[in-house]
Amino acid sequence: MAAVFTPRFDLARFGAEVLRGSPRQADLLIVAGTVFKKVAPVILRLYEQMAEPKWVISMGSCCNSGGMYDVYSVVQGLNQIIPVDVHVTGCPPRPEALEHALTILQKKIASEEKPARSVFHLRGGTQGTTHPILVDGETKSRDTRGPGMEGIPIRGTSVTPPRFWDSRSDLMWTPPPRWIEVTEGDKSLAQHLKERFGDALRQTPETSDMVTFHVETGRSKEILRFLKTEASPRFLRLDDLTAIDESARRDQEPIACYDGTVANEVGGNGKSARPDRGAYPDYTLVYHLLSFDPPTRLRLKVGLTGDEPVAETITDLWPSANWYERETHEMFGIRFKGHPDLRRLLLPHDWEGYPLRKSHPGRATEMAPYTHASAVEHQPLDAAAFVKQKEGDQELLVLNMGPQHVGTHGVMRFIVALDGERITDINLDIGYHHRGVEKIGERQSWHQFIPYTDRVDYMGGVANNLSYLHSVETLAEINVPERAQFVRVMLSEMFRINNHLVWFGTNAHDVGAMTPTFYTFREREQLMDVIELITGGRLHPSWFRIGGLAMDLPEGWKEAVDAFVKLLRGRIPDYEALITQNPIFKARTQGVGVLSLKDAMEWGVTGPNLRACGLEWDVRKKFPYSGYDNFNFDIPTATGGDCYARYLVRVAEMRQSLRIIEQAASRMPNGRVVTEDYRYAVPEKKDTLQDIESLIHHFINVTRGPKIPKGEAYTATEISRGEQGYYVVSDGLNMAYRMRIRAPGFANVQVMPLMAKGRLLSDLLAIIGSIDYILPDVDR
Amino acid sequence: MDPMPNVNTLSPWQPGILALGVFALMSLVLIIAFLFLAGWLGEKKPNPEKLRAYECGILPTGTARFPYPVGFYLIAAFFLIFDVEAAFIFSWAIAFHGLGWAGWLQISFFIVILLISLFYLWRKGGLEWGPTARKNPVSQEMSSLPSSTP
Repeated sequence: MAAVFTPRFDLARFGAEVLRGSPRQADLLIVAGTVFKKVAPVILRLYEQMAEPKWVISMGSCCNSGGMYDVYSVVQGLNQIIPVDVHVTGCPPRPEALEHALTILQKKIASEEKPARSVFHLRGGTQGTTHPILVDGETKSRDTRGPGMEGIPIRGTSVTPPRFWDSRSDLMWTPPPRWIEVTEGDKSLAQHLKERFGDALRQTPETSDMVTFHVETGRSKEILRFLKTEASPRFLRLDDLTAIDESARRDQEPIACYDGTVANEVGGNGKSARPDRGAYPDYTLVYHLLSFDPPTRLRLKVGLTGDEPVAETITDLWPSANWYERETHEMFGIRFKGHPDLRRLLLPHDWEGYPLRKSHPGRATEMAPYTHASAVEHQPLDAAAFVKQKEGDQELLVLNMGPQHVGTHGVMRFIVALDGERITDINLDIGYHHRGVEKIGERQSWHQFIPYTDRVDYMGGVANNLSYLHSVETLAEINVPERAQFVRVMLSEMFRINNHLVWFGTNAHDVGAMTPTFYTFREREQLMDVIELITGGRLHPSWFRIGGLAMDLPEGWKEAVDAFVKLLRGRIPDYEALITQNPIFKARTQGVGVLSLKDAMEWGVTGPNLRACGLEWDVRKKFPYSGYDNFNFDIPTATGGDCYARYLVRVAEMRQSLRIIEQAASRMPNGRVVTEDYRYAVPEKKDTLQDIESLIHHFINVTRGPKIPKGEAYTATEISRGEQGYYVVSDGLNMAYRMRIRAPGFANVQVMPLMAKGRLLSDLLAIIGSIDYILPDVDR
Repeated sequence: MDPMPNVNTLSPWQPGILALGVFALMSLVLIIAFLFLAGWLGEKKPNPEKLRAYECGILPTGTARFPYPVGFYLIAAFFLIFDVEAAFIFSWAIAFHGLGWAGWLQISFFIVILLISLFYLWRKGGLEWGPTARKNPVSQEMSSLPSSTP
C-alpha cells in the first residue's frame, strides 16, 4: 500500500495523487488489510462521511473475504458492510495490483457508470457501484465446505478440540522433547526458593527451555515479589504473562482410544484416554520473568480453578502487567483482584465470551454473521471513558486521534485530553487490528502456522518465522543445518534493514521531513528485489520451514546480496546527511519522549527503544540463536532515551545488519538446507523421489502435519522492533495446544502515555514515529 | 522613488459610472449563477453522518465550544498588534521622501518602543509555547542496572 506512492511505483501516474487524510476530501476509499469487527463501525462511518460521488476498493484477500483469517475477530468480507467497486486479490497484493485496480476502476466509471448524468439530474447515471451489500444466507454463503456439502464435517474439526475423533497424531511416535540441564545458578536459586517458601512451590523436573516452578495458588505474588526484589539474580523484567485453558487436555496415555478411530483399533488396550481432570487445573497462569544480569529466564505457573477464576494483580510489582492482565482477563475470563482498570483491551468493549477459552468458537464462520446492522450497533467506546475531561475546574478538549489517522501508523486509537495543545491525559485503545492469531495457532498444524507468523510483524517477514520456529525447534530438539542457519540470519537481517528503511522515512516524515521517504523507499525496493530473488515473495515470503528452509539459495544470490550491501552502505551517509544534524529534526526530537532506563525495564520495553536508554541488551548476543554467535557485530546504544536517541540507535543498527549480511554471504557454508531428521521437517523433494521413507514423511508432514512431543518452550528472538517471543505448548498433537506470542510492540506501546503526558500534541507524533510499532504486532 | 506623475489616464475620478454599473451587474449575475449551479448540480444524498465532525471515524466526545486556554488569545493579540504596527511602518516607507528627517525620527521612536515591548513580552514568557521546564519536569535518571527497586 505505502509502496505505491513511492518512486518506483509512483501512483500519481495513474491519476491518484496524494492520500487524503479525511473522508471529506476523498472520493475513493481504499480499505487495505483485514477488516476487524472492532474497526468495522469506523470504516462504515468513514464511508458515510464521504461526499458524493464515492468509490471503494477492497485491497487484499483478507479485506475481500476474510482470507486466511477465518477467526472470531475478523469480518468475512468488506462487502457485507459497504458496497465495493473493485476487489484486489493477493496477500498482500503487489503494488502493481493496486495500480491495476485503479485503472480498472477508471475504466468501469468511464464505460458503465456515467457519473456526470446524475450530477445534471439526468437519468441513467450512477456513482459508485449499484451492487447491494451481501446478505448472509441470501446472497452470501459462509459455509467453508461450499454449497451442497453440508453432509461432511468442516475441514479440520475432526482433529481439533474438543473432540479429536480422527486425530492420528497419537499413532505417531516421537522422541521425548529436549530436556535442558539445570545450571548452577538455577540450582542455587531453586534451593533458595525452597528454603524460603517451602512447599508453596514445586520445581518442574524436566523442561525444554528454562527453569520452571509450579506455585501454589495464592502464594504467587509474594514469590514474584521476592524474585524481583530479593532473589539472586533479580528478575527485573516481566517478559510475559498469559494463561492456558487446560480443559481440552488429553490424558498422558500415548494412544488415544476414542470410539471409531484407527487408534482404537490399532492401540486397542481398552483403556480410555479421556482427559484425566485431576492432572490439570482449569486454567494455568504463566509468568515468564527475565533477569538482565546474568541473562536468564524463569517460568512460574499458577493453577486456577473455577469457571470465573480469580488471581491477584501484580500491577503494583510491574506496571507492564496492566495490559497483560487485561488481555488475560478478556481472553480467558480470569479476573485479577486489585487491578486498577480491568476492562476489555483488544476486543470491542461489548464483546461477549472469552475467545481463548477452548469452548469459544475459533472461526468467524461458526459465529453469527457480522452485518451492516452490527457495524451500526457496536460503536467504539466513547472517549470520555478513557481520559479525564477536567483538570481542576478547567474543561479540556477530548480528542480521538485514530483509528483512521495518517499519523498513527495503522489503526490505533489515541485518546487525548488537551489543555490548549498540551496533553494533560492520554490513553490508548488498541485491538483494532486484533487478528486472533493465537487462536489460529491452536487449529493450524505446526507447518501451516508458518504463514501466519509472517503477518504478525508484517515488516519483519521471515524474521517472524524464525521466532516461531526457534521455539518449536527448541521444544522438539531439531538441529538446523549450518547453511540454513546462515541463510536465516542473512534474511532476518535483511528484513531488519527493510523495517528500518521504512521507519527512517516515516519517522522523518512524521516530524515534517518529506524527502527521506523517497530515498529510503527507493533502496527498500532494491532490497525487496533481492528478497524476491531468493524467496519468491516480497513482504511475507514464509520461507523458513521446521528444521531449515523451503529451498536452497538460487543462482546469482551472492552477487545480488553483495551489490545491495555495497549500495546501501554508500547510501546511509546520504540519509544521515539529510537528518542527523538537521536542526528542525533535532528540535523536534531531542529531549522529547524521554524514557528512563528504569522505566524501560519496568515496562518491558525491548529492542532499539531499550538500547536508546543506554542498556546494551540484545537477545542476539545474550541468548544467541541460529548461530548469531558466529558473527561479529556490535550492539549500538545511545543515551538519553529520547526520540533522537532512538533514531541514532536504529541508524547504527542498519550498519551492523549490513556487517552481518556481509559476513553471512561471504562465509556461507555448503551443505543441506533442511534437517535430515524427516520426522518433523518437510523432506527435500529429491529425497522423496529416491526412497519411500522420505515420501511418506513428506506426505504426512504436508497433509496432517508433524507431531511435536508433549511439552512447552518459550524463546525469544530479536526482531527489528524488539524481543518477539513464542510460547508454544504442545499436547503431543499435530497442532499447538496453546500458541502465545509475546509481541515487542505490545509492551513498547503501553509505555507511550508515560512519554507523552505533559508534552504537546505535536510531540506525540514524534514519539509515535520513534517508537516504531506495527499494529498486527501490538494486537496480534 | 518619486511618486508617479498623476496623469489623467489612471484617475479614479473620471466619470465611469457606466463601466461600474456593467461591472456590478456582471458580478451580480455571476454570483447568482454560481450559487444556483452549486445548489442544483450534484447528486443529493443527505445523511446525518456527513454533517458530523470528523474525528478519525469515532463519534466525537464533548463539545468544541468551551473557553479556550488563554495562550491562544495571547498569540492572536500579539499577532494583531505587531501586524497593525507594520501597517504604520509601510505607510511611512511609502511617504519616506515627503516626511523627511522629522518622519524618520518619529518612526524610529515608534520602532524602538515596539522593540522594547517585544523584549518585554519575551522576558515575561509571553512568546513561550508548549511545555516549559516548570510544567513538565523531565526525569533524567540515567542509571545503569538498578540494583534494587523501591
